[in-house]
Amino acid sequence: MRNPLATLSADERALLRRRLRTPVLTFLALLALLAVNVTLGATLPFAQVWIVELLVVAVMVALILLVSMEVIHEPPLVRLFSGLGFFWVAIMFGMTLTDYLAR
Amino acid sequence: MSATGSVGGTARREPHAPEATLGRKADYLHADSTLRSWFLTTDHKRIAILYLTSITGFFVIGAVAAGVVRLALIVPNGAIMTNDTYNKAFTIHGVVMVWFFLIPSIPATFGNFLIPLMIGAKDLAFPKLNLTSWYVFMAGAFFTLVSLVLGGVDTGWTFYAPLSTAFSNTWVLPALIGVTIVGFSSILTGLNFVVTIHTMRAPGMTWFKLPIFVWAHYATSLIFLLATPVITTALILLIMERGFHIGVFDPAYGGDPVLFQHLFWFYSHPAVYIMVLPGMGVISEIVPAFAQKKLFGYRFVAYASIGLASVTFFVWGHHMFVNGQSDLASLVFSALSFAVAVPSAVKVYNWTATIHKGSLRLDTPMLYAMGYIGLFVLGGLTGLYLATLAINQHIHATYFVVAHFHYIMVGGTVLAFLGGLHFWWPKFTGRMYSEPWGRVSAVLIFLGFNVTFFPQFILGYLGMPRRYATYPAEFQLLNVLSSAGATILAAGYIFPMLYLVYSLWFGRKAPANPWNAKGLEWETGSPPPKHNFLSPPEVPRIPYDYPIQAQESQDQHG
Amino acid sequence: MSEGLADGVGVARAGHFETVGQQRAAATLGIWAWLITELLLFSALFLVALITRILHPEATVAAAKHLKFWIGATNTVVLICSSLTMSMAIEFSRIGWQRAMVRAMLATAALGSLFLVLKGYEYYADWDEHMMPFLSNRPFALAETPPARLFVNLYYVATILHAAHLFTGIALLLGMTWMAAKAGFLSRHQNWIEVYGLYWHFIDLVWILAFPILYVVNR
Repeated sequence: MRNPLATLSADERALLRRRLRTPVLTFLALLALLAVNVTLGATLPFAQVWIVELLVVAVMVALILLVSMEVIHEPPLVRLFSGLGFFWVAIMFGMTLTDYLAR
Repeated sequence: MSATGSVGGTARREPHAPEATLGRKADYLHADSTLRSWFLTTDHKRIAILYLTSITGFFVIGAVAAGVVRLALIVPNGAIMTNDTYNKAFTIHGVVMVWFFLIPSIPATFGNFLIPLMIGAKDLAFPKLNLTSWYVFMAGAFFTLVSLVLGGVDTGWTFYAPLSTAFSNTWVLPALIGVTIVGFSSILTGLNFVVTIHTMRAPGMTWFKLPIFVWAHYATSLIFLLATPVITTALILLIMERGFHIGVFDPAYGGDPVLFQHLFWFYSHPAVYIMVLPGMGVISEIVPAFAQKKLFGYRFVAYASIGLASVTFFVWGHHMFVNGQSDLASLVFSALSFAVAVPSAVKVYNWTATIHKGSLRLDTPMLYAMGYIGLFVLGGLTGLYLATLAINQHIHATYFVVAHFHYIMVGGTVLAFLGGLHFWWPKFTGRMYSEPWGRVSAVLIFLGFNVTFFPQFILGYLGMPRRYATYPAEFQLLNVLSSAGATILAAGYIFPMLYLVYSLWFGRKAPANPWNAKGLEWETGSPPPKHNFLSPPEVPRIPYDYPIQAQESQDQHG
Repeated sequence: MSEGLADGVGVARAGHFETVGQQRAAATLGIWAWLITELLLFSALFLVALITRILHPEATVAAAKHLKFWIGATNTVVLICSSLTMSMAIEFSRIGWQRAMVRAMLATAALGSLFLVLKGYEYYADWDEHMMPFLSNRPFALAETPPARLFVNLYYVATILHAAHLFTGIALLLGMTWMAAKAGFLSRHQNWIEVYGLYWHFIDLVWILAFPILYVVNR
């Protein structure tokens, strides 16, 4: 099969490069963060490593939401909705833990 | 008094009534008449009618089951039916009333019909999704109903583990699956409303011109979205526990049944506001119309709706004070529960302030609204007793609780449902119902309700536990009184079913705005045309632009 | 995201909307509202996992160490790749490169399927190691610590629920690819790709959460 990229004009290649830059960079960043977490999980360097792992996950989630799902380019209402669920999850966890952490 | 004078008397009933529009080819009822045009419709108005018919059916089933329960409790020794039958009857009553009547009741019917009209839109944002939600609802409800009737379920509507997972020998599994499915229809309805209210408002219809009915449904829809998925997970885990003994709710493996209650009430307490908020929306429309007065404190009532929908997520633990949750949790949940009283009271004060110095007309919808306010106050205040840790120890799981939530659910939601049904009946059907019969029924329901449920406060305080088929003989008098009240209540329910159906064929044709009410839904025909408005509606300067404004009533006072 | 659309790419207005902008806004808000429900659905399971960990720390760690860490990690890589191809499909749809878009969508579906295959293999390995406590006829490897059963079963509920979402997603994606390959699709329904892309990214996001919560932090 012929390489489809070979048929592209210089302008089209520039367009492609411009359009795909953000997705590819996000992809690489996510892989790098995952590598950090997998390494930490496999080696377990210290007891409280789960804190670091969860922080890394938080960064990954934020990357997907803000960049892959383009929340930073959305109007305020969509930004509000993208955060609303997480806020409610925090309510659910927080209020339930008032029971389990104090038993 | 000039403002009140101009709107009094018979002139008000048909003010500058445009001709009745019923029967024209243009209206949604007559646009098409095949069965297919109903069952495959994407018109929000027709879907509302589909919902209205089906939930009326569920209401009848739930009410008959309640009748069976009250029949059993006439005698203290449980001689009328077996304990098994009694358990199954109260489970049918609870499951059907909560999951298949109260939760969809006002949103899926009036909300579906009226939200696009009130905001000046042609339809909801996702009409096909709207129809889907009805089919999902019917599929789930039918599934559960078959298992409740053929096999019977004896866990009560709350399906607490471990009774539902390890001990009950009844058809719990299919009932759970059906209830899970019905949850999806709630989510789809809520999603549709949220998106519609955000994106489909007519030009000029800003947030603070929206009727409170729309605000209340917005708040309700947020609860649908934020709470329903959690009950879905809880029920999935329950299904897995019963089917595969996964252990998370089973103490035998170190699981914790209380965890089910946390997940269950994370949804089911906010679900109380799924049931109550839309009713508050209905009352906020009826009261100004029948006082011909601008709603007092409009912004406060709007904010109170959102406030209730938020605070309600912080209080679920007050259902769990005696089940072994930590003292800290009980303390926190108890303290926060009192906060619910604030937005609730804001609403009640504003309704009463609207009535004050209004030009009152006690037609059927207003009778229901007045009944609602009184019963909601009683139901709400007894909630404060239950939220108090020390008192809760005494009245937990007694008839005091039963009476409390029936004052909210029946005295509140059902009265609002009936009030709204009468208020918008001309809009839905293009026909006027019989006003005298309407008033008689409203009074009957109010009396019957109080005779049924007030004695239960006393029974509960004296220590009669809920869900038992037998009780000590000294409680018989109050129980018989309660059962007698239920028959009055039943009569009150039967009358509207008769005269409303009668009016469909023989009622007077309704004008576009029989109550001289404000709001875009009254600007279009009764019934509305297929696409809601023949010409784009003109959004009013202010919401509730009634002849009497609060300013004027202050002047009269001074 | 209407900026940066090529000529001839757009959305055909449905009758009950006044403008195309309104229609696009409604679709975007609608999918976000749906994703909120997805987040809460899975978070409730994560909450149960947390409570299990709090109530039975040792048993949970023992159970988590039995999960196939490397398969889980590989699957995470697979889904991150599928997120990239989905993002590419969206970008191609915006500039009107329909053939490239269709190929990116097929690649996304293929990666999603690869995830499910690996997941299936993982379940088989679990079965082989007697790590299916819900099977009454097959003794559980960690039977001497009953609470380990809780976490392992929870792992099945969470991963099966996620796999069901992925399976539905693949089916929808293939159906949409079939339609999107036809002429004129991008001039009428370009925003379907965007809306669907949000769903796909979010199912990835759920796995990005599930992988550490189930496999990593309890080790």
